[in-house]
Amino acid sequence: MDTPLTFQNETLHSRLLIGTGKFANVSTMIEAVKASGSQLVTVALRRFNKAQAEDDLYGPLTQLKQVKLMPNTSGAMNAKEAIRAALLGRELSQSRFIKLEIHPNPHHLLPDPIETYEAAIELAKQDFLVLPYIPADPVLAKRLEQVGCAAVMPLGAAIGTGKGLATAEMIRIIIRDSQVPVIVDAGLRAPSQAAQAMEMGCEAVLVNSAIAAADNPIAMAAAFKTAVESGHAARNAGLMPTSEAAVASSPLTSFLSTHD
Amino acid sequence: MTNPLPNWLDPQPWLAHSQSTDLRAIENAIHSDHPTERELALMLSPAARPLLEPMAHRAQALTQRHFGRTISLYTPLYLSNFCNGGCLYCGIAADRRATRAVLDTQQLDHELDAITAAGLDEIVLLTGERMPEADTAYIREAIARAAQRLNNINIEVFPMRQEEYRSLAEAGCTGVTLYQETYNTTVYAQMHRWGDKRDFHARLDAPNRALRGGLRTLGLGVLLGLADPAADLIALYRHATHLLKTYWQAGITLSFPRIKPQMGGFQALHPVDETTLAQAIFALRICLPAVPLLLSTRESAAIRDGLAGVGISKMSVASKTTVGGYSDKVGDSTQQFSISDERSIASFCAMLRNKGLEPVFKNYDAIYREPTVYADAPSHNL
Repeated sequence: MDTPLTFQNETLHSRLLIGTGKFANVSTMIEAVKASGSQLVTVALRRFNKAQAEDDLYGPLTQLKQVKLMPNTSGAMNAKEAIRAALLGRELSQSRFIKLEIHPNPHHLLPDPIETYEAAIELAKQDFLVLPYIPADPVLAKRLEQVGCAAVMPLGAAIGTGKGLATAEMIRIIIRDSQVPVIVDAGLRAPSQAAQAMEMGCEAVLVNSAIAAADNPIAMAAAFKTAVESGHAARNAGLMPTSEAAVASSPLTSFLSTHD
Repeated sequence: MTNPLPNWLDPQPWLAHSQSTDLRAIENAIHSDHPTERELALMLSPAARPLLEPMAHRAQALTQRHFGRTISLYTPLYLSNFCNGGCLYCGIAADRRATRAVLDTQQLDHELDAITAAGLDEIVLLTGERMPEADTAYIREAIARAAQRLNNINIEVFPMRQEEYRSLAEAGCTGVTLYQETYNTTVYAQMHRWGDKRDFHARLDAPNRALRGGLRTLGLGVLLGLADPAADLIALYRHATHLLKTYWQAGITLSFPRIKPQMGGFQALHPVDETTLAQAIFALRICLPAVPLLLSTRESAAIRDGLAGVGISKMSVASKTTVGGYSDKVGDSTQQFSISDERSIASFCAMLRNKGLEPVFKNYDAIYREPTVYADAPSHNL
């Protein structure tokens, strides 16, 4: 029943994706990534800094052999900027993965669906594996799938809020309709929420603040690792249904002559 | 040796559930919030029969939630019963001593006028397999004539190429009905003795061509009685959900034809009684709450009255299955199958209203909608 997570020809055995930009220092980040078991980590383009070692996340991450890098377009305000960032990111990282994120409003960092859609069209054409961060909008998700995105990443709640799966009903629809992996990105605070996303049928979750801002980021990374594995295993095991509707009294099947 | 079913269609992994005797599991399936193949299979189990009443209630509640207390009406119009097909179960197969007829344009106009006068706005135009008497150009002309009078024009003809579907969409065709008949490839090969229809996989691909050709709705179905109904219904569900994911703007509908007495005397290999039919309809309504489920006049008035609004959301009315049956301007031809519910539109609608259901004749969507164009899907999505 269990199959690895695949994006076209890229295969991952971990279903936990990690953000790297919010840790107190590089060594904590590296230890947290190790503890998480993650095989796909995202790095902001601005954190590639070959000139200044303590500000560079890229160098240390490339030392982790199990880990693939996914540059992100954080900071881009529109499609044009995001495309430019993606091209630079690919040049620097030699990775086909791109986390496409365009959030022009710095107060809530909610994604711009229109610019994201336009950038996705171009990036998919240029052979990127595009993983767009999007509002939990089922129609947008299908439109992005159709233009060639390798996955869709609806938000559970606004970035950094820790409000969990506030958009659960929409995410359920996205999962039901999608032919590419659905990854909840943003909003998760607790490992139980990551497990819940996996139980709903997400193929993976992306966590950043919840690990980086924990008292012990390394221990929290390990906790998310087991939660994601557990939620995925529960999904495959087949959850017991919740509702038990009462049956009304007036019969609806009395017209069936062969029914006893 | 037949090609196996593709993974996305194969019902096999769920067949054990369709024989389950675990009443608690079946009860849970009926009330599941997110039913899948597993829940469908459980509801199709013979052991689910004592639970038909709660299934019917859930089916009715979901039908009301998505379609309101309404029933959409349509009627079939047979253009031609010429056929070179070898379908063992069909009354107009090539080797039947059937009286053949095809409507000429004047006769077609009479038929369309008779249907329009009755207030109907949706028809299904039918022919047999591809024949010179009723080819694509003929069907296109029939669609164009129908489109002058009616808004919703479906075809139930032979599988076509994408460009042919495109030309029909441009002429005003809004939907296509294309039953796979059975998803059991062995039975399929036995049933379809010769002709284009023998190729199971070519037929399976036709819905893709139709939707990519710009037709907006697609009617799927299995001919109940040919093979194990649970296996066929699970595959039907999988076919529908696969198409809904791929062509997510398309409307998919499901029909539940049962084998009826017809010329040739074919007997159902797996007879489906009316309880099993009802069970299938309730189960598919629970698993696909928003998909229109259709029931034709093949079924008796009693069954149609019982299922209207209880799973079923769309019904044919006052149907004729002979060529020229509406206007009586054409000589007798052989009917494809016999009609059980011969009530007039007025008496059928009176029954619906009596049950608290509103008959709906019109659907104006077609007036402002254009054929859907699907972007070429990137290869990794296929």
